[in-house]
Amino acid sequence: MMDFFTSSTFQTVLSALNSGFLKTLQLFFITLLGALPLGLIISFGSMSRFLPLRWVTRTFVWIIRGTPLVLQIIALFYVPGMKDWFNWPSGESGRMIAVCVAFIINYACYFSEIYRGGIQGVPKGQQEAGQVLGMTKLQIFRHITLLQMIKRIVPPMSNEVITLVKDTSLARVIALQEVIWMGESFMKGNSGIAGLVWPLFFTAVYYLIFSGVVTVLLGKLEKKMEFFQ
Amino acid sequence: MAILEVRNIEKHFGPTRVLEDISFSLEQGQALAIIGSSGSGKTTLLRCLNFLEKPDQGIISVNGNVIFDAAEPATQRESEVRKKRLHFGMVFQSFNLFPQYTALKNVTLAKELLFQERPEFKANKKTILEEIQEEGRELLAKMGLSERANHYPSQLSGGQQQRVAIARALALHPDILCFDEPTSALDPELTGEVLKVIRSLAEQKTTMIIVTHEMAFARDVADDVIFMDEGVIVEQGPARQVIEHPREERTRQFLSRYAEN
Amino acid sequence: MKRIASLLLVLAMMLALAACGNTTNNNGGSANNGGAGNNVSDNAGGEGGDTAESDLQYVKDKGTLVVGITYFAPMDYKAEGSEEWIGFDADMAKAFAESLGVSVEFQEITWDYKVEELNSKAIDCVWNGMTLSDDVMAAMGTSTPYCTNYQTLVYAADKAADFEGLTSLEGLNIAVESGSAGEDAAEALGATTVPVQAQANALMEVSAGTSDAAVIDVLMAAEMTGEGTSYDDLVYSLNLNDTQGLESEEYGVGFRQGSDLVDAFNTFWAEKVADGTVLETATTYGLQDAVILD
Repeated sequence: MMDFFTSSTFQTVLSALNSGFLKTLQLFFITLLGALPLGLIISFGSMSRFLPLRWVTRTFVWIIRGTPLVLQIIALFYVPGMKDWFNWPSGESGRMIAVCVAFIINYACYFSEIYRGGIQGVPKGQQEAGQVLGMTKLQIFRHITLLQMIKRIVPPMSNEVITLVKDTSLARVIALQEVIWMGESFMKGNSGIAGLVWPLFFTAVYYLIFSGVVTVLLGKLEKKMEFFQ
Repeated sequence: MAILEVRNIEKHFGPTRVLEDISFSLEQGQALAIIGSSGSGKTTLLRCLNFLEKPDQGIISVNGNVIFDAAEPATQRESEVRKKRLHFGMVFQSFNLFPQYTALKNVTLAKELLFQERPEFKANKKTILEEIQEEGRELLAKMGLSERANHYPSQLSGGQQQRVAIARALALHPDILCFDEPTSALDPELTGEVLKVIRSLAEQKTTMIIVTHEMAFARDVADDVIFMDEGVIVEQGPARQVIEHPREERTRQFLSRYAEN
Repeated sequence: MKRIASLLLVLAMMLALAACGNTTNNNGGSANNGGAGNNVSDNAGGEGGDTAESDLQYVKDKGTLVVGITYFAPMDYKAEGSEEWIGFDADMAKAFAESLGVSVEFQEITWDYKVEELNSKAIDCVWNGMTLSDDVMAAMGTSTPYCTNYQTLVYAADKAADFEGLTSLEGLNIAVESGSAGEDAAEALGATTVPVQAQANALMEVSAGTSDAAVIDVLMAAEMTGEGTSYDDLVYSLNLNDTQGLESEEYGVGFRQGSDLVDAFNTFWAEKVADGTVLETATTYGLQDAVILD
């Protein structure tokens, strides 16, 4: 058994999986960084009192949430070049950028609905209490609604974030070499090794550890919000 | 001159008329009670005064200055509404305390934000914040809540929460303090402590408008009483007279229903 | 009323967006690509056409030939412990790029999307032991054939008796690479196909017993099955092209449709056949019998 872990095959596979997992992590964090604020903007659009904006936003959210992410990735990566609108940068970086854009848009739409539920779930009396105390809309949002909203959205948000951990594997459809792609690569051949199935299943270890860490962190955040009801 | 002058207020929700030709005035230092069954428009009237609803018709003046005129859009500008609101303080039926702040912070938050906008705030930040804190503590002490300053709303009883809400409304020194059924959401054994606070405010000549279902309380504490039914003022006059010797049949019926309960 | 009005507004905005898209379309070719731009977008619409501008020039301008591949020993693969792509196709692709004066970049792709990869300019050619099927020739600009191949049946060694001499695949679950020549062959012989992502995955299916057998390129079967390989429990036999009464298959390189890179490739290849480079390289990878030299 020890021989196996020190074998050159194991070392080769491990370093390939690590490089794939680095891409998985990159995609995960860039998506969060982009989708968390974008989702808030979209949620404002979907609650706008200006009807056309609200309808456009809600239709957009409906389309994005109603179609598979994998389709959006394929469309976003191939269509611009086929239609001669623009070309993604060549090589792996172009694929990463395209996938990130697709993920950010997709997740922002999911987040926007959670935000909307969170904002609308804060009782109207809270806003009115701020109003009669002479606060501006922005002050009310920052000092009153925001934290109550965050408390409300942390549990559903946790679900989405855990899903995101696993959804990153969809990126391999346009040959982004994330950890599952790397795991699979040893089936068809990589670095002179072929016909190995275990690297694919071994990627599960990465996902389990990663989603475990994320779960613990989000649980801590949820705990932190318990000081008020 | 009356501190508050309300003339010909009218308000519709869609096709439903909720307020019709409401006129009354209030003198400095007086307490006005508004009574009437649910759906009679009392709460809506209070919300109109606080700019939470916009009347379709009518004029509201404070200290002789017109602060709202339905015919004058210039009096409804959002930027000025904010300042005009500060003439009024509001205590809600369901308290509406900010759950994520302590009792003290609930009281001081609005004032802190208001002072932050002033030019001299930066230079004297520490002193100003300390003064606001000190005043907040005093207000809570007046409400009998010195011990509870650092408690969160969820750790307080309903009566205590409502007293924090009163302190919060007082912190901005409103000209007129409005109460929207301040004891309706409370268990019967907790209404006493809140009514006691309001009574002592009346004794200190705080100008107040109180929407209430507590008839005895209205009679004893208020100077004047307005009885509303189906969006109109049916009867108004000195508290004792309206409640003990109503002139209108509708007032009599309403009061007798209350006596039975 | 309000609702209808806002719906109309939304429609109007969508049309406006679409119009914007078209404008960009017309300008984009000159701004960014200079290449087979307009032609490619025509292809996407399902029509062929001649290239107005030079795809060759486009590749030279950007200075890189992006070669779309999948891991396929002995054509495009990596030696153990090395990061460098080698193989008959990889080596020749390097030489071709050099002859154009550009650098080469190997990009692993998902085989199902090879046409989209080309048309979206994510890659410039598919050079990966690609069988010149009717579908491929319709969707791409293809080179003259450079290598022969046939489809073969791979199955577990201990069940060899069941498969030898078979002329029909009816009633069998056959793993094939989705979109491959092997899939066509298996279907023509009446198999119930199990399409998977890559030929190697088809071998995995057989090894795991989830499919009865697989149909893949004989060149790959030779490289990846039998003693001394990862699949030493698998064997192959049968020339399924013969079974169907078909000619042997041929490999070619795929470019964008109408691309002048096809001519550039053919000229390059003829030179390299003449000076012996092709045979020499093929011999290195054991393909001396398969490579086409006339």
